[in-house]
Amino acid sequence: MKKILSSLLLFQILAGLLIAQEWTVPADKKGRLSPFPFSDSIRKAGLQLYSLNCMSCHGTPGKGNFQALVPPPGDPATDKIQHNADGELFYKVSEGRGQMPSFKNTLASKDIWTIVSYIRSFNPAYVQSVMPEITSGAYSGAVIALSLLLNPSRDSVMLKASAIRGNSVVPVTGAGVKLFVRRTFGLLPLDEEKTTNDQGMAFFPVPSDLPGDTAGKIQVSARFTDEDQFGPVSKDTLLQVGLKIEPVSLVKDRAMWNVVRKAPWWIILTYSLGVLVVWGFILLVLLKLRDIYIIGEHIDSVGAKKNES
Amino acid sequence: MNSQDQIPGLEQEKIDSLSADILRPVRINKSFLLWITFLFLALIICLYVYSIQLRKGLGVTGLRDITSWGMYIANFVFFVASSLVGMLISCVLGLIGFRWVTPIARIAEIVAVAFAAVAGLVIISDMGRPDRLPYVFLYGRVQSPILWDVTVVTTYFVLSLLLWFLPMIPDIAVARTRLQNRPSLLVKVYGILSFKWVHHPEQYKILNQAVKILIILIIPTALAIHTVTSWLFAVTPRAGWDSTIFGPYFVSGAFVSGTSALLIAMYFFRTNFRLQSYITDYHFERVARLLFLVSVVYLYFNLNEFLVPAYKMKKFDAFHIHELFAGHYAFAFWLVQLGGLVIPIFLLIFRFMRKPLPLLVISIFMFTASWLKRYLIVVPPQGHPYLPVQYVPQEWMVYKPTLIESTITLATFILVLIIITLLSKFFPVVPIVETAREESDQEAKSHEKH
Ligand code: HEC
Repeated sequence: MKKILSSLLLFQILAGLLIAQEWTVPADKKGRLSPFPFSDSIRKAGLQLYSLNCMSCHGTPGKGNFQALVPPPGDPATDKIQHNADGELFYKVSEGRGQMPSFKNTLASKDIWTIVSYIRSFNPAYVQSVMPEITSGAYSGAVIALSLLLNPSRDSVMLKASAIRGNSVVPVTGAGVKLFVRRTFGLLPLDEEKTTNDQGMAFFPVPSDLPGDTAGKIQVSARFTDEDQFGPVSKDTLLQVGLKIEPVSLVKDRAMWNVVRKAPWWIILTYSLGVLVVWGFILLVLLKLRDIYIIGEHIDSVGAKKNES
Repeated sequence: MNSQDQIPGLEQEKIDSLSADILRPVRINKSFLLWITFLFLALIICLYVYSIQLRKGLGVTGLRDITSWGMYIANFVFFVASSLVGMLISCVLGLIGFRWVTPIARIAEIVAVAFAAVAGLVIISDMGRPDRLPYVFLYGRVQSPILWDVTVVTTYFVLSLLLWFLPMIPDIAVARTRLQNRPSLLVKVYGILSFKWVHHPEQYKILNQAVKILIILIIPTALAIHTVTSWLFAVTPRAGWDSTIFGPYFVSGAFVSGTSALLIAMYFFRTNFRLQSYITDYHFERVARLLFLVSVVYLYFNLNEFLVPAYKMKKFDAFHIHELFAGHYAFAFWLVQLGGLVIPIFLLIFRFMRKPLPLLVISIFMFTASWLKRYLIVVPPQGHPYLPVQYVPQEWMVYKPTLIESTITLATFILVLIIITLLSKFFPVVPIVETAREESDQEAKSHEKH
């Protein structure tokens, strides 16, 4: 009985593992397509992004040198990853699972598509289909654009979403929008998600203490929350909203962390003095050894002379 | 007899009988050849394993980004620790005026020389590119405890070697005249190393001055070497290392491992070299008391090191302490603390436990525990850095030494044994002239009493 139970248990665990291996993507995300065609320059940019974000686990595509993790990350050049539809790749990289990190907050969707283009370059059978122009909803056929403007009082950023169809420009209303600041490691959201008002505008308050570059400029990036409806439209721009930060060189003056030429005087002196004193005494001891030798030699020769006479 | 063998103030017979006993093991016999061949064969196997590491890099060890200091560094700390006994016995006790240390001082110095010499090599085993060793001197930064460590370990090794060698010069002179039947190369070496020693009073005077300088010099150097080794950890902001008492904590721990190493060596030389009448039960009893003392001091530092953070339970300290007390490392931790410290301290209270054989067993336990203790100091704190580790597989966080690593570590112990064997087989392990002087002083004293 016990045996049956335990084998049942084992079966369950195995089955659980097998099910865990399957990574299903919601049906509505599967069919998602890149908004732009993959070109050589995009694939090249994809290589950069891949090396920076993915290589440490997935290895060099085609080499099979990915990390031995459970479940294995897999080599992007193999069928394990290539069998995914574009939308599935996008979803898996965005959301992550287990040891596979989620990249939706560190990479813009444009970047993820750029990486997908690089991954696809290892699949000779792949033929890309590009996302058709937005056709659904109220703005079908229109080109949708975002613009950003700094409020004169500099405490908020105005975002404006418009749909351009021929010569007419209409505001995009009631759309969820987000604003990010680009930092060294990924994107930092500014305030909450907003909804555009009936003039297609949304206002994001900007804290007064954001560190900017030497001119106080900050790279901001706006996008729609619902990219399925509006497409991955984004607006990147430099705004003069940050503090002017003059980078101080931390290696200009003498400091503990500096190179040895710029070490603090006290440590150079203490170290050198200590070494000199101790090795000076060692030298003294060696000199005494020499004295012992000289005495012995002298007595030896005296003894030898005595023996002779 | 050669007239050069006349030692002022000492009877010829005394020197004769002492040197007969003490110089007897100084020879090349079958068991020595067997033993040294075995050691070298084992070393060659280990060196082959090291060549794998040399070719493939540190990837063959369990070391990864997160735990980058493992068994090698723990072993290094242990070697530095064990070498401290030389300073404790011949310098501290000698300076205070404990004359009973005379017959065992040289054994302590041999242990010190062997461990200090290999400590440097242990560090090289932790280098993926040992060919870049000269960079330490070419591009070293005086601000870095690593440079300080390289400096003091080298200095301490030289001092220990001198302190082993200098007081032995009169003995080498005795050996030079008495061991003429040994291989001619050895006799020639004795001739050179005796530095024209003719037992002239002036020579004794100079030698005493030189030895005194060494003894005084070696005390701060020895304290520095282990304090600096502890700073390698303590200057790093990391729960488990970030401690202000790491210096004395390491030094007191070093006395425990060094003294137990000394007891093991004493036992070995006494029985194998048949030196029972020089290394007596009395010496074991004395060193056992010393071991008791240093162990209690070490226990006190352990109490400080764990109770204070455990009382406050700051977030990261709490995690560290939990790992040691009840978590992943609990078994090893309690084994070390109880089996290697508390129980031995308790046992050492009893007189019959301070006899040679029980002491040997206790010392082996404490010596092994000391090694494991270094591992517990070095490895666990690296598992929980303050900066969060992101996107890194679990396998990179948990350190497990590989077989290759363990074999290379074994090699360092083999090297220590080789050095100890060579030093003790070619040179007298018990001072001849000093012991003779000691004995005749004592006889003179007892004459006065009657
Ligand atoms: C920390 C290691 C790690 C990093 C970094 C990483 N991945 Fe992964 N990845 C994994 C693991 C592990 C899996 C398997 C997850 C599973 O099946 O549960 C995986 C799975 C995947 C899959 C799904 C494979 C399948 O079976 O369908 C894709 C696609 C993928 N990764 C792409 C990427 C891309 C693109 C990047 C860089 C932006 C990246 N990964 C960065 C570890 C990583």
